[in-house]
Amino acid sequence: MVFFDFLREAILQSGLFDIGNLGTILYVLLFVGSTFIFLFYGTRIQAMVIMGDVRKSLEKLQGLKEKSRKEAVDYLNNICKAPTNAQTRIDQALEYFTIMPVDLDPNGIVGKLEHVIRLQDDRVRNEIKAIAPQADKVQLSVAQNMIEVATSLNMIFKIVRHFYIMSQKTKSYFILAQLQMIMPIIVQEADALVSAIDAFKLAQPIGDGLGPMVAGKFMLGKEKIEVERETIYAKTEYKGRNLLVMKAEGPMGSVGRPHVGVEKLLQDPNNNITTLIMVDAALKLEGENTGEIAEGIGAAIGGIGVEKFRIEAASVAKGIPMYAVVVKQSLIDAISVMKKEIAEAADKVIAVVQRIIEEKTKEGDTILLVGVGNTLGVGQ
Amino acid sequence: MAQMFPSIGEKRPKMPVFTVEECPRCGTKTKRAFKNGDYVYREGGDCPKCQAKTLITQIFAELIKLQ
Repeated sequence: MVFFDFLREAILQSGLFDIGNLGTILYVLLFVGSTFIFLFYGTRIQAMVIMGDVRKSLEKLQGLKEKSRKEAVDYLNNICKAPTNAQTRIDQALEYFTIMPVDLDPNGIVGKLEHVIRLQDDRVRNEIKAIAPQADKVQLSVAQNMIEVATSLNMIFKIVRHFYIMSQKTKSYFILAQLQMIMPIIVQEADALVSAIDAFKLAQPIGDGLGPMVAGKFMLGKEKIEVERETIYAKTEYKGRNLLVMKAEGPMGSVGRPHVGVEKLLQDPNNNITTLIMVDAALKLEGENTGEIAEGIGAAIGGIGVEKFRIEAASVAKGIPMYAVVVKQSLIDAISVMKKEIAEAADKVIAVVQRIIEEKTKEGDTILLVGVGNTLGVGQ
Repeated sequence: MAQMFPSIGEKRPKMPVFTVEECPRCGTKTKRAFKNGDYVYREGGDCPKCQAKTLITQIFAELIKLQ
């Protein structure tokens, strides 16, 4: 009781509840008012803030999309000597879409996927040839890469814009919140795609070209044989072993069709291949170092899975071990001009491949070495 | 799971691109600025030491740090 008496005295003496104390009243009103405002309108205020954030990112995406389109149009007009009235056709090419095959019944899905993707590739390629008939093979491949970048950015922008407008129309806070959460990753990926344009324009090697760079060194001075479209191989030797080395045909910006090449060479009874070694660039995780080399087992090849599936199937059919050597890099590094660390890793990878050959095979064996990746700016 | 979200990497500053020419005879390496038409494993210029034809062995972007 003594304590409560003391507390009452203290409050009265402080004048906190003095009716004439205007400051205190305002303070209480502000506190109660803001509580009610945030209680009833908090989500709406938050939605407005998020909408502002998303709008800013959307404007950035639009800028990147327009930049990539302009670069592609300029390249086709100035370098590939496309006629000036080709702009409409280029814009049409940017709007091309691919309808992925139905996978309700997964049986045979890989064949259908490959068919659709091959058709898409051929269509874009033929369209660019029609737009710029005077361009050489390297220029055509560069233009195709640039059109692919511009198409991807166009699609990213359209999808983000779709959800942005939909959230405005439906006043859905949850659509907006999801969009805001994923936006930093989308913008970073879009930035990475745009940074690839500089490398493409000048036909400079990109980080993904590490595999072809390694294979190309083994192929130097050897006769090159075409095994599939834009895919070549050469026969060489290493410490009493026969080496078949395969890569996409450079210095064009192409990945070739290594899966078909591997299948053909494995199925050829004259080759009698006993080991498959694949070298590729691999996307690193945060914290890993660019240019770090890692060894493993399996088919080292990216894409949507068609290539990996066919290489695995061909390898399993013959009971051949698959060894993989990869060089770690970020997405930006993989599609931008090759960094010094990655270029310097090529010789180290060659040493690793030679060690694997020495340890895992014996004299007289035949080894198929595949350098996987975009061979832009890398010859052989 | 992590493989679905690999490192996107840092936004790069504008980096100069260099071409390295290597002499297959004496092993001398020469680094110069990239020129249009250069590609890896293309024949390069003459070796400054032994005058043999060099081979382009590397093309890369490198960040030059000012002292």
